[in-house]
Amino acid sequence: MLNRVLAVAHGTFRETVRDRLFYLVGLFGLILVAATSVLAPLTVGAQAKIVADVGLAAMALLGLLVVLLVGASMVRREMEHRTLNTILTKPVGRGEYLLGKFCGLALTLACMVALMGALYVVAVALSPGDLAWSHLGAVYLTFLELLVLNAIAILFSTVAGPALAAVLAAAMFAIGHLSRSLHEFAAMTGGPAQHLARLAYRVLPDLEVFNVRAEVVHGDPVAAGHLALATIYAVGWAAAALLLARIFFGRKEL
Amino acid sequence: MVPRGCGKTAPAGFPADCVTMVQNELTRNEPTAPALLIRGLSKSYRQGFWGKRGKPAVCDLELTVGRGEVVALLGHNGAGKTTTLKAVLGLVRPDGGRIEICGLDASRPAARACVGYLPESPQFHQNLTATELLDFYGKLLGLDRTRRRERIADCLQMVGMDDARNRRLSECSKGMRQRVGLAQALLGEPDLLILDEPQSGLDPLGRREVKEILLAQRARGVAVLFSSHIVPDVEAVADRVAVLERGRLAEIKDLQRRGPARGFKALIAAPPARLATTWLAAHDLRVAIRADGRWLVETAAAGALGRFLSACDSHRIAVYDVQAAGTGLEDELTADREAVARETAVAPC
Repeated sequence: MLNRVLAVAHGTFRETVRDRLFYLVGLFGLILVAATSVLAPLTVGAQAKIVADVGLAAMALLGLLVVLLVGASMVRREMEHRTLNTILTKPVGRGEYLLGKFCGLALTLACMVALMGALYVVAVALSPGDLAWSHLGAVYLTFLELLVLNAIAILFSTVAGPALAAVLAAAMFAIGHLSRSLHEFAAMTGGPAQHLARLAYRVLPDLEVFNVRAEVVHGDPVAAGHLALATIYAVGWAAAALLLARIFFGRKEL
Repeated sequence: MVPRGCGKTAPAGFPADCVTMVQNELTRNEPTAPALLIRGLSKSYRQGFWGKRGKPAVCDLELTVGRGEVVALLGHNGAGKTTTLKAVLGLVRPDGGRIEICGLDASRPAARACVGYLPESPQFHQNLTATELLDFYGKLLGLDRTRRRERIADCLQMVGMDDARNRRLSECSKGMRQRVGLAQALLGEPDLLILDEPQSGLDPLGRREVKEILLAQRARGVAVLFSSHIVPDVEAVADRVAVLERGRLAEIKDLQRRGPARGFKALIAAPPARLATTWLAAHDLRVAIRADGRWLVETAAAGALGRFLSACDSHRIAVYDVQAAGTGLEDELTADREAVARETAVAPC
């Protein structure tokens, strides 16, 4: 099973590399240069904060762009182009195929985040102020968030066309960052609305778990325990989304 | 430890999955199991918002393909050819019936290891070269690196893509992609080849090469099931033809047991006027068509045709073509259709 998953993952990775997705890393570099040379002089004494804030936000958004462009259309595009038919007529299970696709894009995201992270660390190191470990923690959490979004995008890709799946995944990104408001709303209200808000909070992902930009910008540490819990949370969400995708995809007639 | 679906006890120390795999392998190599067995296959697609079942695409289909046998699926668009192939490959779920590939339940991935499949107008990842694509499929088939290299070289040579092995598929013509598709179908040395319109998009030379490849596979004992619209191509390679009509198996024609010719046709240069009348009567011939200085003449007897051809030779009259009439599959299918049409016209509504 592992060999087949790795074969699909390797194929997906190679495809994304040849689709020139890594040009986005160059774009990230330009954003960092712009942040340091244009924005930082406007904020006296807060250059490192600007670089950290803009750098982490840009990393998350460019990663999201990759997920929306590739992850949300991956399965459906292969269905429409009928490349999937040839793959699934080999001794490959549908679950193995989905897992391979997820791992392939995860590898692409890992490489991109690693490259962007390296540029980010260099930019922070060149700015006045200390380079703390929390910067690396923030980069790692950005990668975890992208993994969750990758799995969610693949889930939508099994049930909807590329455009709709991308819109749904983008909506999930937005909702995921706002879902804590539902929790707060549930605490303030009562009756059925409270139950509904709580249920929605539990059903939707809480992507703020992966957002430690404020802590990093203000020089606060990111606890190792938080990183561990965020890892478990991300793995759980990714597994649940892929399991659901497997159920929908298993019923699909090609 | 008792393997699933088996009453026998597995040898101590062997995991159940391993024993099942060995049993599958033994069943696969069982010479008595046909390459493909379809019993009572039915399939209708869900339609509309509520997913109501539409008209059956395939209904109660029974078909067996033996090892080393080439069977063609023939029928109009919508007759159920592609649905049948997809059901065999596990791409659609049958509503009813049973499908076995080399003795294994077709829905299991292990059964698909015995199958090579070429879809109609195959599409592949455009950024890959032919070699990279085959390497990818080789990995999915579980071939090790050395074996993959050997098989890729063999298959590309077999389909005449040896020179274009490192060309990206985005730069390949439709015919070249078809050849690469055929190479990926042959990669795992399958026991059963399933081909959906294998000769579409190919030039005459390519079609002849495909025909030769199929015949070579048959000689190796590989079973082939293919769908096609091109009757002469079907005739050239198939042992049997399954004719599908509206999802039902209308008939199976055994092309190995065809009846004798019902007549002969010859296309010749128009003979001199002084010869024409006496000559035709003498050889028991009838002129079917006269056009562009050529005659298409017909005769019922092989002997008459032989004498006529030698007479043409002695009078230096060019002979362009000679055909046996009434033995072709196209003739048979046309005759069948006309018979059905007559019956339908007579039968009360």
